[in-house]
This record gives sequence, C-alpha cells and structure tokens, in this order.
Amino acid sequence: MELDAVSQPELEQIERVGGADLVIGILDAESMKENGSAISVMRDALAELSKPLRAMVVCNNGTHGPAPATDEIDRDKQSPAMFSCSLPAPTPGSTPQQNISNAYRTVFAVGGKLGVRACGVIASPSESATRRWIYRLVQPVLDLGFDLVAPCYTRQKMEGLLNRSVLAPLHQALYGQQLQNPLGPDFGLSGKLLQKLLIQDAGRRPGLELNALATIAPTAAFGGFQVCESHLGIRTQRPTDWGNLSSLLSEVLGAVFLEMEGRAAHWQSIRGSKPIARLGQAEMISPDTSATVDVHDMIESFQLGAKNLQDVWGLILPPTSLLELRRLSRLAEDQFRLPDQLWVRIIYDFALGHRLRTISRDHLLRSITPLYLGWIASYALEMRMAGPSEVDARIERLSRAYEENKSYLVSRWRWPDRFSP
Amino acid sequence: MWDQVGQALRLSMTKMLSQLASLLPGIVALLTALILSAIVAWALSLVLRRSLAHLDFDRRVAQWGLPALAEWSPSSSPTRLVTRAIAAIIIFIGFLIGISAFDGALPSQFVIRLFAYLPDLMTALVVLIAGSIIARFLARSVLIGAVNMNLQYARLLSVGVKWLVTVLAVTIALERLGIGGGIIRLAFGILFGGIVLALALAVGLGSKELVSRSLEREASKTSNPQMKEPVGHL
Repeated sequence: MELDAVSQPELEQIERVGGADLVIGILDAESMKENGSAISVMRDALAELSKPLRAMVVCNNGTHGPAPATDEIDRDKQSPAMFSCSLPAPTPGSTPQQNISNAYRTVFAVGGKLGVRACGVIASPSESATRRWIYRLVQPVLDLGFDLVAPCYTRQKMEGLLNRSVLAPLHQALYGQQLQNPLGPDFGLSGKLLQKLLIQDAGRRPGLELNALATIAPTAAFGGFQVCESHLGIRTQRPTDWGNLSSLLSEVLGAVFLEMEGRAAHWQSIRGSKPIARLGQAEMISPDTSATVDVHDMIESFQLGAKNLQDVWGLILPPTSLLELRRLSRLAEDQFRLPDQLWVRIIYDFALGHRLRTISRDHLLRSITPLYLGWIASYALEMRMAGPSEVDARIERLSRAYEENKSYLVSRWRWPDRFSP
Repeated sequence: MWDQVGQALRLSMTKMLSQLASLLPGIVALLTALILSAIVAWALSLVLRRSLAHLDFDRRVAQWGLPALAEWSPSSSPTRLVTRAIAAIIIFIGFLIGISAFDGALPSQFVIRLFAYLPDLMTALVVLIAGSIIARFLARSVLIGAVNMNLQYARLLSVGVKWLVTVLAVTIALERLGIGGGIIRLAFGILFGGIVLALALAVGLGSKELVSRSLEREASKTSNPQMKEPVGHL
C-alpha cells in the first residue's frame, strides 16, 4: 500500500501534520455533503472519546482535489485536533469493489505514514452511516484495546444474502471466528493491525495485491489480534443491480477464494469456531412485510443454468452434485429447496476449482450466478413466514453445515485428483 | 528378316528385363525402408503412449480447454491421436527414403517443394489450433453471460459464436495453404453472413420477451417510486 495515488499537495500536508492518533476514512462522497463538513462531523463524533486526539480525516470531498489547508483552528484544549486530506479519484473503468479496496489502501497508507494508534473506515452509503458509527468503530480500539472492530448491522431477512449464504459461514468454518460481516465494509482497526496489513501488502508484487477488504479479517484471525463486533444499526443498501450480479459475485468471491488459497496451510488445521465479543445494543426493527420477493425469475435462472451450464459445472462439481442439481431443476416452484449440504459442497468445490484453475477463473466465478439465485429462491421460500429468530436459526444451521463439511474441503484440497463421487 | 525381328525382340526383352532387374534393388530398398520405419514408428509410439499415459495427457488436454482434440481423436483419446500422427510422420519419412533409392532427383525435388510448403502448413496448423481455443473460450463466455442474463437461447448464441470463429479460422488456414482460392473466400462470405443473420434473427425474435420484461419492471418502478427492493447481497 503506497501513497502513489495521493497528490503532491496532499502529501505535503500529511508531512506537515507529522503524526496523529487516529485516521478516519469516509469513502462515500455524499455523506459529507449531507452531514456538513468532514471536520465538523468527525469533531462531534470524536468529542465523546475519553481523551482529546489528533485525527486525520481522509474523505472524498467531491472533487478529489486537495482539501483546503486545515490546521488546528478554532479549538479548545478538550476538543480533538482535526486535519483532512482528500481521496484520489477512482481509476477509470474500475468497479465499485475495486474503488473501495483502493480507497482502503490510501487510508491505510496515510495511517501508516502518520503512525496512528487507530483507524476507522466507513464505506457504507451515506444515508445509514452516522456520527455514532465512527465512535462505535473507533472507541473499542482506543479505549478497550481491540485490534479489529467488525460491523454488525440490523437487517431485514432478505438483506445481506451473499454474506449470509457464503461470506460469513465460510469465514467461520475456515478461520474459526463467528463474524457477521467479514468483508465489512466498515471497520475499526488498531495501529498494530494496520502496520501488519501494510507490511503484508508491501510483500506482494505491484498489480498482484489482494482485495484490501478480504484481507483484513483473516489477517486479524491468524495474527493473534483481538477481534470484536460492534452493533452499528441499520445499513441502507444500494439497489440491487441484477444485470451486474455476476460481476459482483465474481469480484467478491474471487477475492475471498484468493485469500483462502493464500492461507490454506493455516485454515486446514482449524476445527470449530468461537463467538466474538459483540459491543453495543442491537437495534430492533419491525419485519418488512410490504416488500415481497419474486422467486419465479430466480428459479427460472437456476433452471436455465442447470439446462445449459452442465458442461461448465461438470468441470468443477462432482457427479453427485450435478445429479442433485438436475433433480432440483425439475422440482415445482413451491417444492424448490436447495439442501444446505449441497450448497456448502458447491461453494467448496468452486473454491477448489478456482485454486486448480480448472477453467478460466472468470468463467468459473460467473457460472456460480444461477446457483446463487437458486439458493436465494430456496431461502426466500423457506423464510417466507419466518420471524427474526427463525432467520437466525436458519443461518446458524447453514453455518454448522459449513463447519461439518470442512473435512470434505480439506480432503479435496489436499488430494484433488482423488475420485469424488 | 525373321531373324532380325527375333533379334529385335530379344534385345527389347533383354533391355526390359535388365531395366526391371535394375529396379529390383530399389523396390527391395523401398520395402526395407518401409518395414524399418514401421518398426521404428511402432516402437516410438509405444514409448510415447506410455509416457503420455503416465503424464495423464488426456485429462490435461481437457483441462487446457482443448476437448476438440479429443473429439477428433480415435477412441476420443488425444494420446492416440498424437502417437498415430508421430507414427504416420515416421512412416512417411521412411517412404521418402525408399523412393530416393529409385531416383535421387525425384524425391529431392519433392522434398524441396515439401519444405517450401512446410511454413504455410505450420501456420495453418497454428491458426486452426488457436481458432479452436478462441472459439471454445468465446463460446463459453457467451454461454455463461447469456444464461446470467436469463436468455432462453443462450446455447444457440454460444454455438453461433463458436461456429463464427471456427469458420474464420478454417478459411484463414485454407487460404494460407493455397487451397480453393476465390471459392473459399466466397464460401466464407456466404457462411459468415449466414451465421450472423441467423444469430441476429434468433436474438431479435428471442429478445422480445426480455425487452417486454425489462420494460414492465421499469414501468412498475416508475409507477411506484416508494417500492423498496427487498433483496440485498452485501
């Protein structure tokens, strides 16, 4: 992670500041427009902390140009000293996930340069990210000694489905930590963890850096860092771009599978998982009954995939999984259920196929889309009348399936040529 | 006079028989060369087959995305295709050696022409192999993309793209080899245009449903701006 992307005036400003206790990254441009200037928002948020701090705010000020010089002005002895610099403009043609990853790198680089004690990054859309979030992400690091504060959001049952179906249970099974959102995107980090991430990233060749978001939680899990979760409340989700769902899956799962490959020696020896400390109170919301999910199109997509992608899936999945999928594609809509064991093995086989490069990685990751839609349809049908506790129990059951089938993954990972029925 | 006729006949017969006798060593040499080359080809193909089997060549070919090689191979085995091709080349070389026993000039001219043709042959082979790989890659990309877009005619699109690239590769290869000339160009134009037209018609007719679905979705969003998208992924 380097400061190459940061403009010269910004670098000079960082040099002038010299050192700071805290770096805060606000990656969403709109948040500052709505909530006033970054400095005033941060000052309000950090005023609640036990001792005054020197803080650098890295944010998208809408222009991506140098921020106006911000020195320690208008402050009394008890309020935090605030400085700001702007995020570089996103690289043309890069995807939203890449933009977030690059912005994270810049914030980390600025934090490393200033030798900060803590770092907080908010990448969620502005509507949901509040001043309180900054406090909740940073305070456990500064006052309680945690190294990583992962977010815990209050969600409706049909929100965060990629997290629920793959990211969280896979992280739990591989790394033994029960995190709700292992890929954030809002995190609080200690200076120690920040330095570790910077060193780790410096060891990689330029252009081969991993997605910054996918690296944070596994690094904390294996580096002996203290991890906790903090309740942040409701997170407004961006409208789903169904046309680009395969790109999203390809980017996110590609990053997770790469991380998984790099840490294979570590996760193979981990058995079971342990809960992580959760700070704060979960916000209660009434179940959203007005929005209904149309599963018809999803099942149709799954059936189309099962009809046309057998050749592609046949290179990745074992014959029993293919048979099961073919059987599922013939079921009536109301009987459509994708068993947990089958789903878990599909994910494990795709991770293995990604590692072995059985087919082009892009083809492999995109061909998972109909299967994912099948899982969503099955989950939506199963949870149609379910309340929050039933949803939690359902996800808990899926996480257990991931853990129980880990031996299958380990065995196939070690001996991929061995026949698997 | 009859004596002269008899003498002429004897002379021609002697000449004929002596010519035949002079060919005999050449025929024996040709047969020997063929038998020897067949033995060498058999031995080499045996060693090669075992080595390739040891390397799990058939599975690797499928992994490299060259199943077309398996389709063209005897018993669907690329190993057999490779070993038989090598054996055929060795026997052909043995045949050339045998032929040179008859007349030194004839095969050397043939070999010169063959070697002059070899670069074109190699280029054509490379074009065909590259075309096959590209066709397969693009066909798979189109198939996955079309399925993800929920297009019912995904398979048709994919096959169409595969044939487009294959036809293009075969035409370039044939032109390189100097086979067909203008006919090939004409046939290529007709085939390429035909495939594009067929695909355009299929996509156009098949997209009706997709477009109407998309418009319906947009219309429902516009008529009810408060409608919340219930599904979120991250």
